[in-house]
Amino acid sequence: MTASQTAPVEPASKPGLAGTDPYVRVWDLPVRLTHWSFAFLVPALWWSAENSEWALHKRFGVTLLGLLIFRILWGFLGTRTARFASFVKGPAAVLAYLKGQWGERVGHSPIGALSVLGLLTVMLVQVGTGLFSGDPYDGATGPLNALVKVSTAAALTEWHEWFYWVILGFVALHLSAIMFYAGVKQNDLLGPMVSGRKLVTPGTQGNEMTPWVRFAIAAVIAVSVAAWVAFEAPGLG
Amino acid sequence: MAFSKVISGVALAALTMVLAACGGEATSEGETAVAAGPEPEVIDARQANFKAIGKSCKAIRTQLEGASPDTAAIAAAATDLNGYALLMDEHFPEGTSVEDGYDTEALAVIWEKTDEFTEAKARLVQASADMITIAEAGDVAAIGDQVGAIGGSCKNCHDNFRLDTD
Repeated sequence: MTASQTAPVEPASKPGLAGTDPYVRVWDLPVRLTHWSFAFLVPALWWSAENSEWALHKRFGVTLLGLLIFRILWGFLGTRTARFASFVKGPAAVLAYLKGQWGERVGHSPIGALSVLGLLTVMLVQVGTGLFSGDPYDGATGPLNALVKVSTAAALTEWHEWFYWVILGFVALHLSAIMFYAGVKQNDLLGPMVSGRKLVTPGTQGNEMTPWVRFAIAAVIAVSVAAWVAFEAPGLG
Repeated sequence: MAFSKVISGVALAALTMVLAACGGEATSEGETAVAAGPEPEVIDARQANFKAIGKSCKAIRTQLEGASPDTAAIAAAATDLNGYALLMDEHFPEGTSVEDGYDTEALAVIWEKTDEFTEAKARLVQASADMITIAEAGDVAAIGDQVGAIGGSCKNCHDNFRLDTD
């Protein structure tokens, strides 16, 4: 099953086709760019807050908001492996996967799906609370701070400050899982998230090509919403 | 083979995060100050006092957002606020600025423009003292205006004497 057990095979001239080519597409470029942006932004957001770099913190936060919106839209408009419907399965699928009955497929496993949903959720919560956080008499405030009452903003700010530890926990779990898959299950998940391709058993179906029109639609919506929020959501409240 | 590639990648990610965690606190402005010694307790006391100032101020503003503000509660919060404001005189000994290498937002200019800083502190003392009187008189509109005066004193001091990279 692993790369070390089969003799190296020459990739076909058009990778991604089912049949003889063992290198198939797994992750489209938008998914990969979004993933690595998360990996940069989460530490950057933490660092900027720790060092009172509030202008940067706010810019990073609104950027993360845009990326999260994009990823959610892409989960409905993107390539097969990007779509939530392709990997979010019920508990029966999780059990089957844990028992080794899932078979070889590209894309997120049923367990991987849980971590995708978990990480997206905790990032959304943190960005969401951040938008309303702060005290205008104290210093920097999130762009939507003026829309809520003083006590609400104070509560959301407190949440925003300690919820960081939850995110840290999820990130630690995520990194541990990647290392576990690499070391114990001999399954390199890092490489495919960089290159977008994976070595599979010949005959395994790869991902489709990226639908760039749908990408443009999702990107425009995400950027527009994030920009509207960044300008303090004119028309709201 | 794949294992070592992934381990290196993940280790690099973790190391980057750890590096991001270290250094850059008091040196984010490009200063190379190293703390003269352990963090003075006065910095903790100072920061706790400002948190208390913020809490009292928020209590007043929260009252004003309600249907019928409790002017006695506002007067009490203003009394607390005035007390904290007077404590500021004890919280700024020399050598406790961010440029001295400590984890604080107090700028060295505090000890360079002493007259202005004294005046800035006095503004909050006065604004909060006035708020006690105004709140006891019970005029909600006047209380609202006085919150503006308090906020103005906060902003004035922060703009001139507090680290802010906004």
